[in-house]
Amino acid sequence: MQRGQPDQFVSSVTKPDDFDAFWNRVQAELDAIPLDPEMAHVPERSTPEVDVYEIHYTSLGGLRIAGWYCVPKAEYLEAPYPGLAILPGYVSEPTLPKSWAKLGYAAVGVAPRGKLRSNAQYNPGYPGLLLDRIVDEETYGYRGFYADAIRALDFMLTRPEIDASRIGVHGGSQGGALSLVTSALRPEIVKCGALAAPYLTGFMDSAALTHSYPYEEMNEYFHTYPERRDRVREVVSYFDCLNFAPRITAPLLIYIGLADDICPPETAFNLRDTLSCDVTFHSWPGSGHEAGVYWEMAKVEAFLAGHLQPATPRNTETDLPEEF
Amino acid sequence: MMTDLAPDIARWWDRIDEELGSLEANPEFEHDALRSNGLFDVYKVRMTSLGNYVIAAWLSVPKGDGPFPAIMYAPDYMSVVTPAPYEFRARAITLSVISRGQRGADKPYAAAFPGHLTVGITDPDTYIFRGVIADAIRSWEVLCDHPKVDTERMAIIGTDLGLLVNARRPGARAMHLKSSFWYRSLEIAAGSDAYPHEELNDHLRTWPEQRDAVTRTLAHLDPIHQADRVTAKVLIYREQASRVQSDTWFTPLTSRFATEPVFLDMTHFGQTDYDAVDAWLAAELGMPAFPRTWVAQDIGAWSV
Repeated sequence: MQRGQPDQFVSSVTKPDDFDAFWNRVQAELDAIPLDPEMAHVPERSTPEVDVYEIHYTSLGGLRIAGWYCVPKAEYLEAPYPGLAILPGYVSEPTLPKSWAKLGYAAVGVAPRGKLRSNAQYNPGYPGLLLDRIVDEETYGYRGFYADAIRALDFMLTRPEIDASRIGVHGGSQGGALSLVTSALRPEIVKCGALAAPYLTGFMDSAALTHSYPYEEMNEYFHTYPERRDRVREVVSYFDCLNFAPRITAPLLIYIGLADDICPPETAFNLRDTLSCDVTFHSWPGSGHEAGVYWEMAKVEAFLAGHLQPATPRNTETDLPEEF
Repeated sequence: MMTDLAPDIARWWDRIDEELGSLEANPEFEHDALRSNGLFDVYKVRMTSLGNYVIAAWLSVPKGDGPFPAIMYAPDYMSVVTPAPYEFRARAITLSVISRGQRGADKPYAAAFPGHLTVGITDPDTYIFRGVIADAIRSWEVLCDHPKVDTERMAIIGTDLGLLVNARRPGARAMHLKSSFWYRSLEIAAGSDAYPHEELNDHLRTWPEQRDAVTRTLAHLDPIHQADRVTAKVLIYREQASRVQSDTWFTPLTSRFATEPVFLDMTHFGQTDYDAVDAWLAAELGMPAFPRTWVAQDIGAWSV
């Protein structure tokens, strides 16, 4: 495919007529499943400023989903805290968001199904997740995967130390996609989102524009099953962030690399042009999938702080009690 | 302490070599039709490593008779290992090592992230990375034995774990050292709260009485003790403003290499930096450069 200016690319994504009904059914299924949140303190990972917990909750299909919850210690910073969901990339394992907690957020590192600690009942592998039962929207792996991310917001709502009126989302690549999905499906909760190089945006166009994984999984699949291309196009349209975009009301910061070989920049421009919320959009020439993070991270911190208003931690060297 | 430890470290490495030498790798190559195409064939490889642990790898071999240049991707600190990037598979034989604990080699030991970095860390003989480095060495041996590999044109990409492979098994003409991991690892940890090195801080915060033992174990993997055995030409990302990527940081290590290293000053434009590495590796291995900015041009020439 000969490529032109990325901001001139015309998306091939269409929206299924029953897109909203499909996701309303998923939400109804989730509503019928008790969350059953659990938290276990992890002293080894905790610091004088931050308590770390391993969390679990129940999601679609009754799967127990894991995560990390990092929250400032009261001696370091008093509650309430803004909440921040840190959403994971495709191949990376969820981080412990201790650094965000140190900045004053109660932060959850989400581990949707298939990630380590959430893979006892579902483990499509990597490569694998992108294609897992991609022949039917009702069986596609991302149906549950998206639900698991949504449920992380429900977990945050159970925490008394979190101010439910100040919850944001943040992630890159797949984490960027999940930031969009959670913002779209729970607009009453998500107050802002900062995301890099959004994946799962223009699935079919992306596969045609790159040979890098994960989208290369789709090219491999079509090489083997060329007759399924049309059906797959239908299925992924239920999961495409371009179709979630119109539902998003929270302000977003989006940053991308114009030489991104993993998530083609064309699809990010399509996303930008589809959103109706307040969008700050930064594109970095010469940057790949890291999306200019070297310069962008300070902007992300400022954006999130501006919307979520974390308190300023005490000076740890002078104000902490002696036992620290 | 380093001087006192040197004989112990030398014996530790010799024992790894001896144990590997007593075990046949017995590699098995399973063709992966899904991931193969008109440019290359992909295989899932299983082989025996230290302690009879069965590890794995993704092997990709260009179509044709060869011989081809070959590149080994040394294990990174993450659970998932995928086949090498398409543009490398189109030009060279690539082997992406799946070491013990990583997905695909996670039976009986499934590594936790975080957690993997400190398993058995109080004793160099029980430390999990004794096995991991052996896995990387074993994989290099298997790659060298592949009949289509041009053994004059081989390279390693990875952290300084790849340096250790080159120190113990010469043969790589070039190496791209992406970052320090084992070199001065406790110093890296002391100046940061970022994972994975934060695992070391977590461990020492919880068990401060183990500091001497942990320091001793990590010294066994520090490439400073193997630096005078490194024969590959090494390309290193450099950033003078960084505590752990400056000349000052690297000089004690690199001054002992057999070949003067090449430093690439980072622009922090990721694809620009990546393409510079690609151009250097391509020249070293005698293959065409394949800048990733190709995606802004025409992918048809590299598609099948």
